[in-house]
Amino acid sequence: MAKRRPTRKRKPADQKQKKRYSRKKHNTKNRLRQWPHWRKTILGLFVLSVAYVVYLDIVIRVSFEGKRWALPAHVYARPLELYPGVRLSASQFNLELERLGYRYSYRPTEPGTYTRQEDRFYMVSRSFQFWDGNEPSRQLDIRFEEGRLESLREASLDKDLSLARLDPPRIGGIYPAHHEDRILVQLQDTPALLAKALTTVEDRNFYTHIGLDARAIARALWVNLTGSGGLQGGSTLTQQLVKNFFLSNERTLWRKANEAVMALLLEWHYDKDEIIEAYFNEVYLGQDGRRAIHGFGLASRFYFDKPVERLNLPEIAVLIAMIRGPGYYHPYRHPDRLLERRNLVLGLMAKQGVISKVQYQSARQSALGVIQGRKSGASSYPAFMDLVRRQLKEDYREKDLTSEGLRIFTTLDPWVQNTVEETVKHQIKSLDRQRGLNGQLQSAVIITNTTNGEVLAMLGDRKPGYAGFNRVLDAQRPVGSLMKPAVFLTAIEKHRQYNLLTRIDDAAITLQAQGGTTWAPKNYDGKSHGKVALYRALVNSYNLATVRLGMQLGFEAIENTLHRLGISKPIPPYPSMLLGAIELTPMEIAQMYQTLAAGGFRTPLRAIREVMTADGQPLQRYPIHIEQTVDSKSVAVLTSAMQEIMRNGTGKGVRRFFPDTIELAGKTGTTDELRDSWFAGFGRDYLGIVWLGTDDNQPIHLSGSSGALLVWGDMMRRLQTQSLLPIAAEGVEVLPIDPESLLVAGDDCGEQVKLAFIKGTAPDRYAACAGGGQR
Amino acid sequence: MIKQLNYFFMAGFLILLTACSSPQKKEAGFEVGEGEPQGEQILPDSRTSKTVLALLDHARQAVNSGRLHNAESQLERALRIEPRNAVLWHYMAKLRLHQDRISEAVGFAAKSNSLAGNNRHLQADNWRIIAHARHQQGDTTGAQQAQNKVNQLKQ
Repeated sequence: MAKRRPTRKRKPADQKQKKRYSRKKHNTKNRLRQWPHWRKTILGLFVLSVAYVVYLDIVIRVSFEGKRWALPAHVYARPLELYPGVRLSASQFNLELERLGYRYSYRPTEPGTYTRQEDRFYMVSRSFQFWDGNEPSRQLDIRFEEGRLESLREASLDKDLSLARLDPPRIGGIYPAHHEDRILVQLQDTPALLAKALTTVEDRNFYTHIGLDARAIARALWVNLTGSGGLQGGSTLTQQLVKNFFLSNERTLWRKANEAVMALLLEWHYDKDEIIEAYFNEVYLGQDGRRAIHGFGLASRFYFDKPVERLNLPEIAVLIAMIRGPGYYHPYRHPDRLLERRNLVLGLMAKQGVISKVQYQSARQSALGVIQGRKSGASSYPAFMDLVRRQLKEDYREKDLTSEGLRIFTTLDPWVQNTVEETVKHQIKSLDRQRGLNGQLQSAVIITNTTNGEVLAMLGDRKPGYAGFNRVLDAQRPVGSLMKPAVFLTAIEKHRQYNLLTRIDDAAITLQAQGGTTWAPKNYDGKSHGKVALYRALVNSYNLATVRLGMQLGFEAIENTLHRLGISKPIPPYPSMLLGAIELTPMEIAQMYQTLAAGGFRTPLRAIREVMTADGQPLQRYPIHIEQTVDSKSVAVLTSAMQEIMRNGTGKGVRRFFPDTIELAGKTGTTDELRDSWFAGFGRDYLGIVWLGTDDNQPIHLSGSSGALLVWGDMMRRLQTQSLLPIAAEGVEVLPIDPESLLVAGDDCGEQVKLAFIKGTAPDRYAACAGGGQR
Repeated sequence: MIKQLNYFFMAGFLILLTACSSPQKKEAGFEVGEGEPQGEQILPDSRTSKTVLALLDHARQAVNSGRLHNAESQLERALRIEPRNAVLWHYMAKLRLHQDRISEAVGFAAKSNSLAGNNRHLQADNWRIIAHARHQQGDTTGAQQAQNKVNQLKQ
C-alpha cells in the first residue's frame, strides 16, 4: 500500500482527492473480498430489505396521502313532483314510496317513514339537495281521489302546499371495474360509540400499539392452538386497513410480512384518527348485486336507511358484527347468525365498560332493525343506463364517471318503465308462442315525453333486466311503412299542390333500381286500388300510391324532410327508400316521430337533466332545446290523417284497448317477409316506439298491425295515455269529409272522415248527402 | 348596441317575472329593441295553477340572484306540469335571450305562438323576440318580416 503513495510529484488537489477515494474503494473491495460468503449474503439481504422498506414507505405515503376513493357516479330517476291535480293514484304513490325505501310506520316521525289509510297518506319526506336548491324534509298529509292527488298539506304547519318533491329513486351507478361503492364519512361526523365499538371488538389496543400488537398476536396464537373461541383476531385495525388498501387476500407469509411492515410505516406517518377514519371508509360490508358496499357511510344508508351519525347502539353493533364476514353474517340470508354475533359484540362492549349493563340489556332485546324489501341500488334498467352513459361520455371522461362521485339526474320514470316491462313480458310471451318462434322473438321499446323529448322508459331486450345488446340504440333495422309519414308530409307542405284529398294513382309501377335491375313494389294485399285520396293511401298504407307520390316529390325533398324531422344519417336515393328500405334504430325513429308529436318542433331526445358534484354543487345542465323545423300547420294536417289510421286504418286494432273517445295518432311498419313489426304512435303525453323481430333477421310472421301495435296499445292503455286534443293550430280547419265524393260531409251523411286542411285548401263544396252547393 | 339590448332584455325579464308572480303589482312592460313601441306585459293567464305560479316565483328569485340555470330548471319544471301553457314557453324564450342563446329563443317563441290561441298580445311579444333574435343574427329581412307581424298583431 505504501508503495503506491504519490511522492514524486505534487498533483492538483482534485486529482489527489480522486486518488485517495479510489484507493479507499479499493481497500473496501479488498476487505469485502476477504469476508466469508454468509456475511456477504446477510449484507446483501440487509441492503435489499432497506431498499424494499423505503419502497414500501413511498407506496404507503403516496397512496395514503393521495388516497381518494373512487366514488362511482350515482344515477337517479326523475323525482316525483307532488301537487294538487297531478295524475297519480294512491297505489302508484305507494309503489314510489316502496321504491324509495320509505318504511311503513304506525306513527311516522322519522324522515323516510309513512302511514296509509286507504287513499290518504301521512309521511315524513326526506330532505334532498337538488340542482335548484334543497328540498327540506316535510311532514306531508296527502289525499288521492280518482287517480289524482286531491290535496297536499304540510301537516306540521297545517297549511296547504302547492308543490313538494320527493327524493329521486336511485337507479344505479357508473362503477369502476371492481364495482366498489361508498359514501365518505369524516370521523367527527360519526357517533363516538362507533369507533369505541370497533376498537373494542377488532383491536382493543388500537390507541396504544404501533401498528402491530404482540399481545393480540399471542392471544390469537393461543386461541388457534387451544381451539378456544374468541372474538378478536391477531390483526390490528392498521393491518386490516393495509391489507384492504394495498394487498391481496392470499394467506402467505410474504403477504403477512409486508402487511406488518406497512402497518408500522403507516402508524409512523399518520395519527390514529386518520387511520381509523380511513378504516371507516374502506371496510367492506356486503354486496348489493354486483355493487360492493364499502364503508360505514354507505352501509348505514343501505341497511338502515339513515346517515351514519344517527345510528343507535344496536345498529352500530350490527355493522361491527358484520365486519368479520359480511357474507357469513348476512342480514337477510342469515339473520339469526348475525343477531347472535351482534349480541356477542354488545356483550363485549359491556364487559369492557364501553356501555352500561342497562344499555346492554336494552340493546340485546332489540330486533336487527335492518330494513326489509329494499330495492337493489344496482341498476335494473340496463338499456336506459346505457343511454345515460353514452350521453355522459360526450362530456365526461370514463375515469371521472367512475371516480368523482358525480350525481346524475335523469329523466327515467320508474312507473312508466315498469309498466313497459310488464306489458312486453306479457305480450311477447304470447306472440312468441302464437307464431312458434321458440323464444327468439325480440323487442325494443322507447317511451318519451311528447313535449320536451325526455326519455321516460327504454327496453332493449325482451328480458327487462338483461344488459346485453341494446336494440333501441344499436339494432339497425329496415323501417318499412314508418317512412310513409315523411313522404306524405313532404306533399302536404306543398299545400298549393296537395291536400289530403288529392288523388294519387295506386297502380302497379316498375322502376329502375341499382345495378340495372328493376323494382316492382306491391301492396300488402297484392292489389291495386286505383286512384285514391292521399289520406286513404296513408291510412291503408298503400305502397304503390306512396311510391308514385314519392317519385312526384323527388328524393331530395323527402330526404330534406327526414333531416328536418331529426334523421341525421344520409338517405339512399333509391325508390325503395320510399317504402322504408333504410335501416334505422328505434331511437332514430323515436327522434323522427318526436318532431311530429311535438307539432313540428324538433327536440333532441334527452336522458339527463342535470349533473352535480359529489358534494351537491351544480355542475352541468342538459336543458331542453327546441327548434321549429317543420311547419306546424302541415304537421297538424298529417296528424289528422295519422289519427284516421288509428280509427279506420292499419292501426284500428288499438281500439280493443281504448274507448272511441280517445284520440291517438300512429303508424304501423312491416318489412319484407314479415321480418320486422313496428309501431310508432303518440297520445297527448307519451310517444311510444315498438319494434319486434329476431336478431338473425328471421320472418316473425307478424305485421306492424298484428305484432307491435298490440304491444303498443296494451302499453299505452296501462300508461293511461291522454287523448290528443282537437287540432287547433292557427290557419288550420278540421272538416268532416264524405269519403265517396271527397267533399265536405254533413250530419246526414253516413260514413265520414275527420281531416284537417290548411285554410284555403279544403273542398269548397258540400257533398250531395250534405245538401250539395258551395261551402 | 347588442350588449345594450341584452341588458334591456335582462331588466325586462326581471320585471316580467316579478310582475307575474305578484299580480297585484302594477304591470311593467319592456321593449325588445330600441325605438319600438312599448310591449305589453305578458302575465300568466287565470288558468295557470298555483303550483306553476309558485315555480315562477322561484324562477324570479333565481333570476334576481343571477342564477340563470336555476331559473331554467324551475321553468322546465313548470313546463312539465303545464306543457301547453303558451306563456311558459314565452318565458323560456325570454330566458334564452337573457342567457344570450339567441337562436334557441326563436324556437321557444315559435312554440309559444303555436299554443297561443287568440292571445294576440302574447303572439306579438313572441314575434318581437323573433325580430330581435333575427336582428342580432344579422338577418335584417327576417327581422323586418317578424316586426311586420308584430305590427299586424298590434292593430
